[in-house]
Amino acid sequence: MLTPVSISTALDAARATLASVGGVLDVVILAACAAVLVVAAVPQLRVHLKTSLWVLLGVLSVGELVLVWFHARLWQICQLVDPITGQASGSFAVPLWIESEKLYVWALLVAVIAVGIRRHASELRPFLAVLAVALAAGAVLFGHPFTEPLPDFFALYESYLSAWGSGDTIMGYQVFQRAESSRLYFYNTWYMWVHPPLLFVSYGAFVASFVATLLMIVRRRSSYEETAYRWARFGYIPLTLGMVVGMPWAIIAWSGEAWWWTGKVNMSLMMWVLYTAYLHSRLYLRRRGMWRVVAALAVLSFLALVLTYVTTYVVPGAHSVA
Amino acid sequence: MSETPDDAAADGAMIAESPLPSNDRGPATIGWDFSLMLATVALLGFLGLQSLVGTLYTWWAYRSIPGWEQTGYEGFVLAMNAVAAPVVIALVVVMGLCVPKRLFSRTMLVGVSAGMLAVGAAGAVITESLATGLAVYLALSGLIQVAVVVLTLAGAGGLAYITEGRLAKAGSGLLHLGFIVFALVMVALQKSPLMMPAFMLSGVLLTGGSAMSFYARQTRGALHVHGA
Repeated sequence: MLTPVSISTALDAARATLASVGGVLDVVILAACAAVLVVAAVPQLRVHLKTSLWVLLGVLSVGELVLVWFHARLWQICQLVDPITGQASGSFAVPLWIESEKLYVWALLVAVIAVGIRRHASELRPFLAVLAVALAAGAVLFGHPFTEPLPDFFALYESYLSAWGSGDTIMGYQVFQRAESSRLYFYNTWYMWVHPPLLFVSYGAFVASFVATLLMIVRRRSSYEETAYRWARFGYIPLTLGMVVGMPWAIIAWSGEAWWWTGKVNMSLMMWVLYTAYLHSRLYLRRRGMWRVVAALAVLSFLALVLTYVTTYVVPGAHSVA
Repeated sequence: MSETPDDAAADGAMIAESPLPSNDRGPATIGWDFSLMLATVALLGFLGLQSLVGTLYTWWAYRSIPGWEQTGYEGFVLAMNAVAAPVVIALVVVMGLCVPKRLFSRTMLVGVSAGMLAVGAAGAVITESLATGLAVYLALSGLIQVAVVVLTLAGAGGLAYITEGRLAKAGSGLLHLGFIVFALVMVALQKSPLMMPAFMLSGVLLTGGSAMSFYARQTRGALHVHGA
């Protein structure tokens, strides 16, 4: 029979296992990051950059598999039980790319792109390698996905366990309702399993596009523009799909809340319209001086991407943690 | 797995190096196609600017006006909608002129667009609702766009049109149709049972159309001067 104590015990055991495995992984990931940085920085070693990135990607993938295991355990352990009826309402299917794991997934995706890139690989790869390292190191040092996983989720779930275990039925029921609402409309919704990863893929592609755009601006060669365009069009498709599938969820889940025209939504819209404008203007690249407009729109689009990310943490609103 | 000769060969084989067009090359005139593209970029740029201003305002309002979400948010949304609505209409008008321009004459396109605007405006006046007028206009635009896609897939327009890439052109039509469906849902179907399927349809049209438009286009160098 499920009790708050039995759930807490199982949860503590899962977290302890994650922390012990993750503690080792943290060190290995940081070591792989250092190796990639050294190889990228020393011209004589740069011939091994792809190999070092493969190593980083491998280590990050192992870490991701460990996180998948942890989330599967959460699905098994973290049940919600109505304190009045004693009926279990369901488990938490916590997505793999929220809270402390967001930077980690970003690092993984950028590492995949850095390894897989082909056009202008020798020039783009060092930039992408440094970015992958920055994201991976940031994930380990600031996100702590293994040692301090999912702080908001655990704050919610532990408050529920605490209220349930207190014997105060009314308070327990109130906290249960709040947790159940989060389970149904946030953690377990199909949208959370589709929307963020689509956007992460698009952001990764836009990073590659941005680097190629900078090379185009500096070196004034059309092949860089073509590379930038290829990555931008690759990123534009998941960006568009991710934003479109987000809208019905927002209308339903945030009904009555302030979300339309608020910061994160605005900046996402700005990013999308700027990338749309860039892809349109690019059709006329061969016109006199048009490449400057194209380059400016490409840079502005990427700045909008960065601002969209920053806005999440700065401007309040429904789609924000500010 | 290090930088292999294959990588270098892949780089070399795929990349045809050429300088970017300088100031003394390329046409200087602004034609119909280019004007439509400029209008599209300008309208999108305006929407982007509006989004930025809206973000800065909400940031300021949350920090400076206690309880703004309860007292000022609704008015802010109405103001933003009022500013955005004509821009969205203009975008749809430009689309109506842009996508089917290989199938119909310019005069006909301008005439049809003006007629649709008049019908939408009449709908708004009769029902005393801007949203209804906008929905009428978007529904008409959607119908025209469906016709364009069907005609495109059927190969209308003759040989010269087909050589530009029928699939790419159909993709362009589909993604613009997706945008119209999306706008229609936001304007008129948010509380309808059709909301979810209509959103999904717009998602499929936008992404499928984008993929077709991007990847089916015949790549003769980097020069494509059609299909804004």
